[in-house]
Amino acid sequence: MGIQKDTVKFNVGGRIFQTTATTIANAGRDSFFGALFDDNWDLRQQQQQPNSRQEFFIDRNPDCFAVLLDLLRTGDLYIPSNVPERLLYREAMFYGLTDHVRSAKWGPFDGNRLKLSRSVTGRAPGDGTAIRAGPDGGCCVAHGSMVHVFDWMLEEHPPINLDYQRVNDIGWINAENVLISACERLGKGDGGMGLFSSSTGDLRHKFNVVHDDQIKSFTAGALGFSPDYKIFASCKGRSNEYGIGVWDQVTGKQMDFFYESPGWYLGDADKLQWLNGSNCLLVATLFPRKDNCYISLLDFREKRMVWSWSDIGAPLTIDEKRVRDAIAMEECNSICVVNEYDDLGFIDLRINGGSVRWSSRSRLLKGKLPDEPCYPKLALHNGQLFSSMNDCISVFCGPDWVLTSRLRRSYGGSICNFSIGGDRLFALHSEENVFDVWETPPLPVI
Amino acid sequence: MSNQKKRNFQIEAFKHRVVVDPKYAEKTWKILEHAIHEIYNHNASGLSFEELYRNAYNMVLHKFGEKLYSGLVTTMTAHLKEISKSIEAAQGDLFLEELNRKWNDHNKALQMIRDILMYMDRTYIPNSRKTPVYELGLNLWRDNIIHSGKIQSRLLSTLLELVHRERTGEVIDRGLMRNTIKMLMDLGSSVYQDDFEKPFLEVSAEFYKVESQKFIECCDCGDYLKKAEIRLNEEIERIAHYLDVKSEAKITNVVEKEMIANHMTRLVHMENSGLVNMLLDDKYEDLGRMYNLFKRVPNGLSMIRDVMTSHLRETGKQLVTDAESSKDPVEFVQRLLDERDKYDKIICQAFSNAKTFQNALNSSFEYFINLNSRSPEFISLFVDDKLRKGLKGVSEEDVEIILDKVMMLFRYLQEKDVFEKYYKQHLAKRLLSGKTVSDDAERSLIVKLKTECGYQFTSKLEGMFTDMKTSQDTMQGFYANHPELAEGPTLVVQVLTTGSWPTQPTITCNLPTEMAALCEKFRSHYLGTHTGRRLSWQTNMGTADIKATFGKGQKHELNVSTYQMCVLMLFNNADRLSYKEIEQATEIPASDLKRCLQSMACVKGKNVLRKEPMSKDIGTDDAFFVNDKFTSKFYKVKIGTVVAQKESEPEKLETRQRVEEDRKPQIEAAIVRIMKSRRVLDHNNVIAEVTKQLQSRFLANPTEIKKRIESLIEREFLERDSDDRKLYRYLA
Repeated sequence: MGIQKDTVKFNVGGRIFQTTATTIANAGRDSFFGALFDDNWDLRQQQQQPNSRQEFFIDRNPDCFAVLLDLLRTGDLYIPSNVPERLLYREAMFYGLTDHVRSAKWGPFDGNRLKLSRSVTGRAPGDGTAIRAGPDGGCCVAHGSMVHVFDWMLEEHPPINLDYQRVNDIGWINAENVLISACERLGKGDGGMGLFSSSTGDLRHKFNVVHDDQIKSFTAGALGFSPDYKIFASCKGRSNEYGIGVWDQVTGKQMDFFYESPGWYLGDADKLQWLNGSNCLLVATLFPRKDNCYISLLDFREKRMVWSWSDIGAPLTIDEKRVRDAIAMEECNSICVVNEYDDLGFIDLRINGGSVRWSSRSRLLKGKLPDEPCYPKLALHNGQLFSSMNDCISVFCGPDWVLTSRLRRSYGGSICNFSIGGDRLFALHSEENVFDVWETPPLPVI
Repeated sequence: MSNQKKRNFQIEAFKHRVVVDPKYAEKTWKILEHAIHEIYNHNASGLSFEELYRNAYNMVLHKFGEKLYSGLVTTMTAHLKEISKSIEAAQGDLFLEELNRKWNDHNKALQMIRDILMYMDRTYIPNSRKTPVYELGLNLWRDNIIHSGKIQSRLLSTLLELVHRERTGEVIDRGLMRNTIKMLMDLGSSVYQDDFEKPFLEVSAEFYKVESQKFIECCDCGDYLKKAEIRLNEEIERIAHYLDVKSEAKITNVVEKEMIANHMTRLVHMENSGLVNMLLDDKYEDLGRMYNLFKRVPNGLSMIRDVMTSHLRETGKQLVTDAESSKDPVEFVQRLLDERDKYDKIICQAFSNAKTFQNALNSSFEYFINLNSRSPEFISLFVDDKLRKGLKGVSEEDVEIILDKVMMLFRYLQEKDVFEKYYKQHLAKRLLSGKTVSDDAERSLIVKLKTECGYQFTSKLEGMFTDMKTSQDTMQGFYANHPELAEGPTLVVQVLTTGSWPTQPTITCNLPTEMAALCEKFRSHYLGTHTGRRLSWQTNMGTADIKATFGKGQKHELNVSTYQMCVLMLFNNADRLSYKEIEQATEIPASDLKRCLQSMACVKGKNVLRKEPMSKDIGTDDAFFVNDKFTSKFYKVKIGTVVAQKESEPEKLETRQRVEEDRKPQIEAAIVRIMKSRRVLDHNNVIAEVTKQLQSRFLANPTEIKKRIESLIEREFLERDSDDRKLYRYLA
């Protein structure tokens, strides 16, 4: 055996660590180690000189260094009980290894392998309105007029508000920016829509709606985003300015406005969803916000409603099944809907004005509805369909949407909203101010 | 201790706020500032990365990010101002080198500074929406060095000067050039564009404007294009060597505009060397160059195409209207084919086989071939010539090639029915005289015509082939039934279906008695097997082989026409016959008789008869003898008829008339077909649709169509609408 030439010796806070340059190279150039071993800082030459097997001193916590060094060696993150997570994260920040830690902490999202990672409680007085997963594993939660932002380490950042107006919806533009839609305050021009820094909570941009060359105050409702950097929001003005507004994410300027037509509701929609394949926006306005449900697809290029469905005039069944949430599934050419009994239904997107085909999967919930029922919500992620009902979330897979998993944690009351993103699922409870974080554990060792 | 004594109670704040040393930030910054100085002074080996990184980290952690950032800006700016001075001081050629060296230093320093300030880059800068360290370094370099008054203009003029020197043939330091340009690109595309590209393009435009003017005064077209091509390639090469790839389209645009687009017309029409001369001299290389260069500019190719088309039409027109070339149909068609081959080759080799050029070629040919109304006849004659003798010893593939070429010309013809007429005549002659070289070639051409024009066009031609085949069988049957005829003259009859063959109403001549008897036998045999038919003899189309013994006893076999045979047989019983006697005995029509006597008495080497008086022409008072002195080195002698291969003027008119006559029912049929499906249609549309329907056969004449409509109205196939006289109505 030859002498290994690329061994490296560190003295971290008094403890000696030895490793190889190869292991250290896993840290990447944009890290403390990458810079340390760059030719510019000619440490390597010193290292390679015989008899000068010098050690590098680093004035940091040795316990954390051990964990992080192990992470570089194996790609696995193992945090011993004596190392607080927060401490480890701070050390990772120092070395520039946060990305390594984050990607090792939880695995790629799979609805059937989820494990409850943490429950986070807050101090908000009101009921939760919405929770949205951020692109990098963080999330933001709206309660009343406040939005609380958490990064991927679930550290809370300064809360956000838009003139202390009631928040209707929130959304992530990217890991740095959060968008808030809120009610207007009559006569003052407060409220509307604002873009905030997720880390500092500073207002970065306030969006305007212009009608007839005049800036009008408005109430912003459901939000939607398209990959070509557009923001969509359902808007209610004082006079007839009801409809869907479109803004450019980069410039913040209003680009377009789709006015609602009489007898059809767009301005206070429950849900907006951008459909990439058909270049359309799904707008769903549902019971009980309105007496009837209205789902439509809007094509903004032609300013046309290309598909629509409504339950106006549909005969009411005895159990009065009403659509409570809707989500478009472009691959299946259908819209999935859910009623208050957690039945899934499907509407064909290829036929205009078709009817709902309910799947007869009825769960018998009658009689034991909780005191404060929450309406079911739907989400779609990588071909898996998620539906929340009361205190649990069901996972459906396959072409026939078979129930494959159920996530439940009977604490905090019903789930009023949930969101998937950054390889995590966040579920917000309605009774107590708590949200759960579900993540997929890293793959088994073997 | 004294405090205790005094028991002087002092209420202390419940909790001391931990205050870091107020000078902490200042001290730490000094360390970092010093490090930045050392880095710029190439003195970094004494620095500890770990310490500097930790200090920068601590500053950010203790909320001194702003101080750190502004300190960085100040320090770096100060250094860049120093650098700017040393670059300005560099003399002459050293300027670029100094700039480059300093740029490399700055880059390296920037990298190291970024390493130290990595934590600030990652946390403080995005939160406070400041410019990241590396970009900051580039921006400061841009503002303090590249845009500093003394450097900016000097840099630009130095770069442009170097490019100019390279254009004039000097060798420059391309590496230095590349590094400098790369620096401008690294600073952002707008820096490259504003500080270099725009002026570069302007200077280039000026340069090429002057140069192209110089070239065009002294070069011919070919040389000019060569030079333009070289310049273009040089610029493309320059891009590859040291400029931004994105500039390629822009600079080539400049060269194209200045060197080609602005001089296009002059180049194409240049005297003695322009496009027409290149076409005439088959200068594939020059033509190809012109094509490739002109392709790059708007309207370039259409200009080449237009000039080529007009030239082609002009030469084509001369070719087809030239009285000289009309004399020999074979030569005429051959020249057309050669012309086409020539341009095919040019388009293929020089014009990259472009579709638009092929179309231009086709339309030109279509234009001028139809200028000569005899083209259909000549093309058929050309085929006739090829199929009679031209194809002997030629391989099957070559035959196909020639036939395909002929078909190409055929496609250009507007009056395809006229061609059909002639082709039928010529085919009939070939078949009947057994002159056709290759049955396969004949059939192949028919198949081609069939695919081109449809079944109708060739059905009669195919009928002719069928007749030939059945005739053979009939003859076999005839001789099988009459074994007694094995002795004596042999008769070969070809039974032709009326209608399939070009009919020539002729008077049957008087056959020699032995032949007449044989014919009579055949007639009774044929009518015996096929009832309800009528046979009439076409003696003007037959041939005969007869044996003759001349004065010195030499024997020859003579291959003659039926008429000639009839005349010669008369000399079995007489030595001298006058023209009148011959005419009476044979009853051959006068013009044919004259021709056949001429061929036997006046053609040298074939003069089996002697004539008195000796002259070229046959007179009605002439007398004829067997030419005892006839000699020939061949045993078999073929005596051709003096046939006007090409049609004579009256014949032509006659054919023309027949064609016109044949067209009438076709036009009427087309009108009826159209009206039957449309029921009601106005005049102009009828004309348009009829023309379209008949296009594949001939170009229908509108006045003729009108006449046919009138005729159909008379015969109550159609009627005029009572309100709108322009509207026709179909009467079922």
